[in-house]
Amino acid sequence: MLNIKNLTISHAEKTLFAGLSLAVDRGEIVTITGVSGSGKSTLLNWMIGDLDLSFSATGTLWLDDLQCDTLPIEARHMGLLFQDDLLFPHLSVGQNLAFALPGKLRGAKARRQRVEQTLANIGLAGFHDRDPATLSGGQRARVSLMRTLLAEPSALLLDEPFSKLDAVLRTQFRAFVFEQIERQRIPTLLVTHDPADVPAGGRVIEISDWQHSHV
Amino acid sequence: MAQTLRLALERALPQFPYRRVRLTWQWLAALPVLLIFGPLLPGLYWALSPAIEPLVWQRLWLDAQWPQALRSTLISSFLGTVLACGMSALLATLHYPGRLWMSLHKRLPLLLSVPHAAFAVGLFFLIAPSGWLARAIALFAQWVIPPDWVTVQDAYGFSLALALAIKESWFLLWVLAAVLGEQAISRQMVMARSLGYNRTQAWLHILWPQLLPRLKWPVMAVLAYGLSVVDMAIILGPSTPPTLAVLIWRWLTDPDPALQARGSAASLILLIVLLACVWGVHGLGNLLKQHQPYPGGQRKPTANGRGLPLHTPLFGTGYAVVAVLLLWSVAQTWFFPALLPDAVSLVSWQLAEWEPFWTTLWLAVAASVLCLPSVLIWLEWGPKRLNALLYLPLIAPALPLVAGQYATLLHLHLDGTAIALVWSHLLWVLPYMVLTLIGPYRTFDSRLMISARALGYSPWRACLAVKWPTLIRPILATLAVGFAVSVAQYLPTLFAGGGRFVTVTTEAVALSAGGNRRVLAVQALLQIVLPMAAFGLAAFASRWLGRQRRGLR
Repeated sequence: MLNIKNLTISHAEKTLFAGLSLAVDRGEIVTITGVSGSGKSTLLNWMIGDLDLSFSATGTLWLDDLQCDTLPIEARHMGLLFQDDLLFPHLSVGQNLAFALPGKLRGAKARRQRVEQTLANIGLAGFHDRDPATLSGGQRARVSLMRTLLAEPSALLLDEPFSKLDAVLRTQFRAFVFEQIERQRIPTLLVTHDPADVPAGGRVIEISDWQHSHV
Repeated sequence: MAQTLRLALERALPQFPYRRVRLTWQWLAALPVLLIFGPLLPGLYWALSPAIEPLVWQRLWLDAQWPQALRSTLISSFLGTVLACGMSALLATLHYPGRLWMSLHKRLPLLLSVPHAAFAVGLFFLIAPSGWLARAIALFAQWVIPPDWVTVQDAYGFSLALALAIKESWFLLWVLAAVLGEQAISRQMVMARSLGYNRTQAWLHILWPQLLPRLKWPVMAVLAYGLSVVDMAIILGPSTPPTLAVLIWRWLTDPDPALQARGSAASLILLIVLLACVWGVHGLGNLLKQHQPYPGGQRKPTANGRGLPLHTPLFGTGYAVVAVLLLWSVAQTWFFPALLPDAVSLVSWQLAEWEPFWTTLWLAVAASVLCLPSVLIWLEWGPKRLNALLYLPLIAPALPLVAGQYATLLHLHLDGTAIALVWSHLLWVLPYMVLTLIGPYRTFDSRLMISARALGYSPWRACLAVKWPTLIRPILATLAVGFAVSVAQYLPTLFAGGGRFVTVTTEAVALSAGGNRRVLAVQALLQIVLPMAAFGLAAFASRWLGRQRRGLR
């Protein structure tokens, strides 16, 4: 379970939001919406551990019983997905996935097999040695999500992950992401400004709820 | 939308051969640049053709000074480059991303504006046997006379290597900071870390493999500089024999044609060494790429070591250099073990020779102001494919180029004139200015120009009324860079000026052979003051403009 307790973030005397508390269960997708500039991305950056130094934050972040907000990015086990796929351009498609695969699976051969299996599962069999730059937008988005999931994160943070895809692709990829999250039972926070991105029956939180009345 | 608008515009123009006009424009735009680069080609032929004779090479081979000169040149340039790369890479790996990296980044421009010659003089005052460092040790070791050690002008060129390493590591850090400022790169760091890798691992597996190919040319520029540096080598390098670059410079300026030919041949050797390195680095890069192991997925715990104050000596040296120059310039008497002057006075400043200062000032203003329109016209209409050619003076050893310039000037009977002097500086001022402005020029929002043209402005008037005024802040910075580059020039001033023009740079180097540290310190400080004033002025004007129009970047 992902838990934010009593979070306040401010920037140069100005409070972005105050007293934000939120719990996300395993396999649940909570959507955060708000107009641009409302601090959605700042919230995500704080959770990742990459808050810009000009911001100050109080509050705690918990993954089950582990307090995360004091840990460096690499110790938080937060999986990320942005609107840009951010595949590493100097590695092949398969190497990108192998980079995420946990180290407990040893041996180049076994690792490669696992990566090829993953690629086949998402309809990209035979793409192991391809240059990521030669993939279509939809293909890159799928590889990017699988890379995040292969690292076995304890929580997922999705920052407008569908906004750069065209309408048809968007619907397909959205369904693909939700299906994968459901299967792996990961608590997920989705940031979007598009109401169509909200999963059916999912909880929606408007960030402005913490902005004026509660300050 | 931009595409549609542009097409509509092109269609709206009267029916004339648009393509041919554009081609003519390209060549017209390249004209100022051709004027700067063109005369160099016959000059290079005249200067380097004496080296075709096999006998010249034989004589060079038998020259008594040349093996040792080559040795100290190779040691100083390679060691300097390797250390500079190592230090900047270590600092980046340890501190990026973080608060300390940002503060390092902010302090870099100040250090970068210290010219090479002034830095060498200051470093000499620091590390010489009677320098500040020895005085600090003397406090504890109870020395009363300077130790009998060779800490500067050593036969192997180690002190020169140290100077190059420190000075160039600032430059490489600055290049690294520019690349790391790109969002695509900084977000990959976050992505790699979110997958569980610590910062060092992310650097090793993700950032370095991508950054190294991009850093290849800046590093080659550092190496080329070290191979052919003369001003720093005279101040800090060995003297009998000097480094190869200094030897070449002496040969080239010798009245004896046989020695001039030997100088041409030896300057070709510098070029060959550089080309061999470019080729070697290229091969090494390919080898590394082929032998990349399959990602093993081993995550290491967060490393500690970020607290190491490794940057302190590197940045501290820069401040100490300026401080010791300031102290010497006001010192009346300053005997050995004393850490501070025994008596201070402004006599050295009152008696200072100001002519080099004014010469440097008008020369640098002329060079940067003349270059600016060429740079703007080139960036707007010039053939973009040829940008790489412009950068050649930055990555080639300066000596053959300067010799070529000089040969041209001799043939035109222009050596020793002010025009020749300004022209000789442009060859280095122009590429640095293009390099500074090209980034902001590329990120300029082209829709602004399309809007202006849609309002009926011609391309030329749209540039004058919209594009260049919008880019005024980067243009000011570019002018300051051009000014600073001109101030730091040593070899072109000596050759093209024919000894008739003395700048603060040539004066500081000439004074370094004498024993008067006070006079030397004053000239070195004047050399530092000029570029700093230019950068300060540009920053001030830029801030003021920024306050008037907050949309200007």
